[in-house]
Amino acid sequence: MEKSRSEFSQIIRGIARDPLGLMGLIIVGTIVVCAVLAVWIVPYDPIALNIKDRLQGPSTAHLLGTDQLGRDTFSRVIMGGQVALKVALPAVFGAMAIGLTLGMIAGYGPRWLDNLLMLLFDTIRSFPTVMFALAVVALVGPSLQTVVFVVMATSIPTYGRVARTQTLTLRNSEFILAERSMGASVARILGVHMLPNIVGVLAVLAAMDIPTVIALEAGLSFLGLGVKPPTPSWGALLKDGYALIRQTPWLVVGGGLPIILATLGFTFLGESLRDVVDPKLRKQR
Amino acid sequence: MTETLLEIDNLNVDYETARGDLKALRDISFDVGRGEIVGIVGESGCGKSTLISSILRLTAPNTRFRQGEIRFKGEDLLRLPERKMRDLRGADISIVFQDPMQTHNPVLSIGRQMVDIQHRSRASKAEKRELASQMLGAVGIPDPEARLDQFPHEFSGGMRQRIAIAMALMSEPDLLIADEPTTALDATLEVQIIERLKELQQKFHCAILFISHHLGVIAELCDRVVVMYAGAVVESGDVREIFHNPKHPYTRRLIECDPGHIKERARVLPTIPGEVPDLAELPDGCVFRERCNQAVHRCASEVPPLELLKGGHYAACWLNRVEVEV
Repeated sequence: MEKSRSEFSQIIRGIARDPLGLMGLIIVGTIVVCAVLAVWIVPYDPIALNIKDRLQGPSTAHLLGTDQLGRDTFSRVIMGGQVALKVALPAVFGAMAIGLTLGMIAGYGPRWLDNLLMLLFDTIRSFPTVMFALAVVALVGPSLQTVVFVVMATSIPTYGRVARTQTLTLRNSEFILAERSMGASVARILGVHMLPNIVGVLAVLAAMDIPTVIALEAGLSFLGLGVKPPTPSWGALLKDGYALIRQTPWLVVGGGLPIILATLGFTFLGESLRDVVDPKLRKQR
Repeated sequence: MTETLLEIDNLNVDYETARGDLKALRDISFDVGRGEIVGIVGESGCGKSTLISSILRLTAPNTRFRQGEIRFKGEDLLRLPERKMRDLRGADISIVFQDPMQTHNPVLSIGRQMVDIQHRSRASKAEKRELASQMLGAVGIPDPEARLDQFPHEFSGGMRQRIAIAMALMSEPDLLIADEPTTALDATLEVQIIERLKELQQKFHCAILFISHHLGVIAELCDRVVVMYAGAVVESGDVREIFHNPKHPYTRRLIECDPGHIKERARVLPTIPGEVPDLAELPDGCVFRERCNQAVHRCASEVPPLELLKGGHYAACWLNRVEVEV
């Protein structure tokens, strides 16, 4: 336990040494802190109506102005961040865990199982995400869980394919043969020896995938397929702002800026993470 | 004669290919006694690797065991259930591979890997680590405790091979298979590794099956030697006997071709002309006949059997028959 903690701090230090990584770390850190402490940060209830003060510009009372129903945009942006992470994190990590497991099984298991899983992945991938989301929403109705499910289901094949390719390369490598000749079981080979070789690649992929997922959630909410209306979401904010852009530009700014920042932050972090986690690269620095 | 540990009895192994069955091993028979070091020599493609993977039963999917037995402590490994076979690997039989640059997991520290291969032991993690550090010390890695936390890429080739030997010996196996462990290393390291293996063998009393195509190394290390050609044993016996008094033309030519044996400066290094015959379509008679400069009529029609000449020296050549008709 103590050892893994020091490894973790080593990774963080490695990222912080890289200027882009540091920037990513700061942005992502801010978003996460804001999301966690959202309830204490927000100056107003993000869903409380106040028709008297509708469509105001920025002021000391309302940092980012108000929307057409008089709700405080700043509070909605903060709470929207929480919603974005609530969708992105479970969806990405869920997809990564399932994709990793299925991909490793496909790569190491018998041929027929590989073919079957690949067929499944290709089938899922052949659905356009939005069409798939439409179908699911039509079936069970829009909600946070639906968005998480749609995003997770559509990104499993990406992780599965990468994990499978990695497993296929590794299974014929000499050190895996060495482990087998030392009497290691299939579970030990996959869990102890292959997993650490694959998980680094997938972690980078996940970090790069989080912004895509945030954008996807915003996109679905923009189309009205995401979270239900009173719940604040960056996509919903953008949608309201888009309709009212002639009255006030602040809604579009409030909804768009956090999406851009989050996308940039997670991408910087992901790229920096890729350079740090690979021990083969670590030596050269 | 000590107790036999590994007996290979009339082993025949084929590879199923699109061109028909490739007869990779034919009628292989030899023993390895407890604590004995047996060398296997032969050029590339003579079936050495097939033999090792057959002993460990880590063969390619198109491998077919046609006939024969591989008995380890009296038990036929070819009939053992997979579960029991796995228990043997790394515990009673372990192996050191040819290329030390490839045999370690690149993303795990040496210490983690050495602790992990003790997965059968019930010792605590600290005890396992302690044993790992002791073993590293035993193979001559300086400052073993600190080096446990390093990754494979931080070690040199010779060190990695010594680590591989340490890992193979950690479970105190009865049989260590060394698959050309020095081929990928340079000459000075080769001597070091051989000396180290000798020392460790005396300490752990394990038998070693040492595969090499370097005759000098075999002569230095082994008690007995098995010479293989095109999937069959052509000669076997005591190391000294084989090197001083080879009874098969192939062995003779092999010794002549060894650079260590050439006394005068040669413009062209000697070779054995010709190639190993196609194992999918074996010629009639002796497999070595086409490259042999002493072949007689009988060699073309009949396969010479592996015969006992004297005191443990076997050879498969018609020339050793007194009544040979030229």
